[in-house]
Amino acid sequence: MLSVREGRGEMLGVLFDRYQVPLFNFYSKLTGDRTASEDLVQEVFLRILKYRRTYRPDKPFRTWMYQIARNTRLDHVRKKRPETNWQPELSQTTQDVDRAQQSQELALLQRALMQMSEAQREVLVLTRFQELHHDEVGELLGCEAGAVKVRVHRALKELREIFRGLESMRPSAPGGARGREEGINRTMPRRPTGGWQ
Amino acid sequence: MNCEQIGELLPEYLGAGLSDEQRVQVETHLAQCADCNEEMALWKKLALLPTEQPSPELRARFEATLDAYREGRAQEATGFVTPRKKLLWALGGGSWTPAILAGIACALILVAAAFFAGRYTNRPDTSSQEMTEMRSELSNMRQLVVLSLLEQESAVERLQGVAYGAREKNLDPKIVSALAHTLRYDSSVDVRLAAVDALSGHRNQPQVRESLVEALDPQQSPLVQIALIDALVDSHDPSAIERLRKLQEDPNTNPEVRQRAAWAVQKLS
Repeated sequence: MLSVREGRGEMLGVLFDRYQVPLFNFYSKLTGDRTASEDLVQEVFLRILKYRRTYRPDKPFRTWMYQIARNTRLDHVRKKRPETNWQPELSQTTQDVDRAQQSQELALLQRALMQMSEAQREVLVLTRFQELHHDEVGELLGCEAGAVKVRVHRALKELREIFRGLESMRPSAPGGARGREEGINRTMPRRPTGGWQ
Repeated sequence: MNCEQIGELLPEYLGAGLSDEQRVQVETHLAQCADCNEEMALWKKLALLPTEQPSPELRARFEATLDAYREGRAQEATGFVTPRKKLLWALGGGSWTPAILAGIACALILVAAAFFAGRYTNRPDTSSQEMTEMRSELSNMRQLVVLSLLEQESAVERLQGVAYGAREKNLDPKIVSALAHTLRYDSSVDVRLAAVDALSGHRNQPQVRESLVEALDPQQSPLVQIALIDALVDSHDPSAIERLRKLQEDPNTNPEVRQRAAWAVQKLS
């Protein structure tokens, strides 16, 4: 019995090692709350164990896991009292970014991300950080891959507007659209190519 | 193209997933549109946000939660929790007359006797039930791990998936089909060879033998073909002869493979 018990632990351990960081980042970028994110990651693995029989091998495991992750998050939000809603200004993630003296621009981007609606933010998190393909995200959100592209673009537009707003409020902001454009020109290659990241 | 249409293409443009024509259209648009340029810069910058690491204690805390979860389920299965809860609930409310109390006392003695008798007489059953449950859990978990690893981009992880898949005494049909799929379509020869080894270790299962025969494709790499032929000879399955003959007669087959196939046909006939 011991070997069976160990075997089970080892198997779950393999999954845990493989997916704890991506899942943690899914939650931390979605909620900005490290502690809650760790709790949610734990809950996802317990649910994987609990609902393992509902997995259908004809679907990618990753999609199934993120479906569980989204449901876990939804349940968590439902249980949470309204007054304990997370405040973007207090985000530990944001504080961490600031504390680590990362570029102000990235800290600002992080703030802008956290000020988006959660639905828009989730589309960006899934496509940009979790490396999910459009059809996988479509499966999760219940829409076609084409609709995901439209959603990504809308989310990016919203992010741009919020980012602009935050940038203009910054004390050291370069000021106005001119400064912003200069900022872009500094960071943009003249002819963008595919091999990035 | 307008900004909307260009915006929807930006992620693919940066990921090099567009046709040449679309690429030119995006570049022409970007050369004259500050807004789209800004969106693209943001999309690029998002990738610079750091990947955060969970605290090192997460794994240990998870193990503890897992144990607590298992313990809770074991208690439920052996009936420890439910009767106790019911009893506490029953004792908690109402007023008690001596007759009711005496009745309850008798009932309690009976329940206790039945409980302990049940505990001892059921012990082997409970244990074997728990064992069966754990075995099924292990098998399910292994299936999840194998299937999740086989879909990874890194060949090393797929190799690990094949190794985990082969561990069980009797392979689950889902694992067999996943390994058979890997054997036929994986992009790495090493992973395909590992799949041949993994499956041939379970050649007593008819589904495995069928998969090995099916994989004997003329398009396959000669290395994998030779490994497959050897596995089929080891399985002593004459149903492979027809497929081996076809391979032997196919002019596109590698000469060494043809020779090996001829040898195998002789062995199995």
